[in-house]
Amino acid sequence: MKMKYTETHEWVSVKDSTGTVGITLFAQKELGDIVYVELPKVGKHVKKGEEAVVLESTKAAADVYSPVSGTITEVNTLLNQTPELVNQDPERGGWLFKLSLSNEKELDELADDRLH
Amino acid sequence: MQTALYEIHKDLGAKLVEFHGWEMPIHYQGIIHEHQVVRQQVGLFDVSHMGRIFIEGEDALALLDFLSTNDLSDKQDGTATYTVWCAENGTCVDDLIVYQENPKKFFVIVNAGNREKDLLHLQHYAKDFQVVITDRFREDGILALQGPHAEKVLSQLFPEVVQLKHMQFLNVFDEGLTITIARTGYTGSDGFEIYAAHSAIVKLWKALLEKGKAYGIEPIGLGARNTLRLEMGYALYGHELSDTIAVTESVSAWTVKWHKSNFLGKAALQSLKQSQHCRHEYGITLIGKGIAREGYPVFQNGKEIGYVTSGTQSPTLNQAIAIILVEAKLQKGDLVEVQIRQDLCPAKVVALPFVRL
Repeated sequence: MKMKYTETHEWVSVKDSTGTVGITLFAQKELGDIVYVELPKVGKHVKKGEEAVVLESTKAAADVYSPVSGTITEVNTLLNQTPELVNQDPERGGWLFKLSLSNEKELDELADDRLH
Repeated sequence: MQTALYEIHKDLGAKLVEFHGWEMPIHYQGIIHEHQVVRQQVGLFDVSHMGRIFIEGEDALALLDFLSTNDLSDKQDGTATYTVWCAENGTCVDDLIVYQENPKKFFVIVNAGNREKDLLHLQHYAKDFQVVITDRFREDGILALQGPHAEKVLSQLFPEVVQLKHMQFLNVFDEGLTITIARTGYTGSDGFEIYAAHSAIVKLWKALLEKGKAYGIEPIGLGARNTLRLEMGYALYGHELSDTIAVTESVSAWTVKWHKSNFLGKAALQSLKQSQHCRHEYGITLIGKGIAREGYPVFQNGKEIGYVTSGTQSPTLNQAIAIILVEAKLQKGDLVEVQIRQDLCPAKVVALPFVRL
C-alpha cells in the first residue's frame, strides 16, 4: 500500500488502483471540531485537485481536494452520524472516500512524506 | 499585540490567532468542549484586548446619555448598562457597556476592534461637555469568569461578590490595587467580568484556575466565546452591528429608548422608521444538515431578501443556528432558504435566544 500526501494536507492510500482519501492529523487540528461532513455521491468523477468533500467546523467550511483523478466508489457513511471521527482518527477510521484511479501516474506528483 | 497572559496561553497549549491586531487564544482543548465547560461548570476567558475608558466630570452623565441609545439617567451607582453608540445617521459605531460609579464618574468597556475609534468618537463630542476622558488601554486587563459555578469560585477570593445582582458591579482593593468586578458577561450563563491593572490580572488568572479546580474550571478561547454569545442571540460588532447597519435594524434595537429627548442618531432613526427600506435581524435554525455562515444569501419564495450575519453549529442544541439581516418583515415560524454553496437549504425563523438557560 502506497501512502502519498498533498500540499493541502490530504493523504491517499492506494491498493490495486483503488485509493482511500482522507486528511492528515495536522489538517484536523487546524480545522478544529468537525460538526458536519458533506460527502460526494458515489459514481461522481473527480479530477486531481478538484473539491471532493466539504468539512464544516464550528468556525468555517473547509474544502478537501481529491489528490488524484478517478470515480468515487465508496464514501464513509459513518461520518454522517459521527463527524468527530475525522478529528479523532483522520488517517484511518476517519477516511472520507474511496475512488478508482483513472491515471496512476498522478501519484508520482505527490509527496512521500507529510508536510508536517 | 499581546495581552499580559500571552506566555501563559502558550504554556496552556492555546491555538493562537490574529484578532483585530491581537494574538488571542481561539481555543485550548477545542471549541465544543470549552463551550460545554462554560454551560455546565465554569470557564475563564482573557478578554484584555477589549478597552476600558474612564469618563469623569460634571457632564459625564450628560455626554454618555447623549451618545447612547439606552437611557442612562436615574441609575443607581454600581449599575452597568448595555447600549449602542450611533453615528448621526443612525448606523452603529459600537456596542458597549456603561458602568456608573457615581453620576460624575463612569467607565465604558468597548470592543477590541473599535478602541481607537470609540476614543476619538468620545473626544469629538466631549468638546461641548465638561468631562475628562482617560483611556486605560495600556494599563488594564480584563478577565471573564462564566458558568454556573462562577460565583462559588470567585467568592473564595472575594466574598462580597455574592451580593452582586446581574448588571451590578463593585470595587475591591487588593495590595494597593483597585479591582472592579461586574456581574456581566457575553455568554448568557451567570458570571463576572473583572477589570484591573495587568499585574493584578495575571495574579487573578492563576488564582482562579487554582480555586476553580474543584469546580472543573478551564481556560476558554474566543472560538467558544462566539458560539456561546450566538446561542444567546447577542450581537457581535462587525456582524449584526456595523457602520452600514442602523441600530433599529439589529438585534440590539431594544436598547433604543425613544422617550429620550435626544441622543446622537435619533433623528435619522426616526426617518428610517417611516421608510419602506427598513431591514430586520432574525434568528433562524436550519432544517436538515448544513451550516449557514456569515455572508450566505437568504431567500424567501425565490426572492433574495438578505444575508447571514453570523452562523455556526450550536453545541447545546446540536443544530445549525444563524442570525440573518433581511429586507422583509418575518414572524416566528416563517420559512426561508439559505444558499449554502450550490444548495438552497430550508430554515425556520425562531425567537431569540436560541437557548434558554
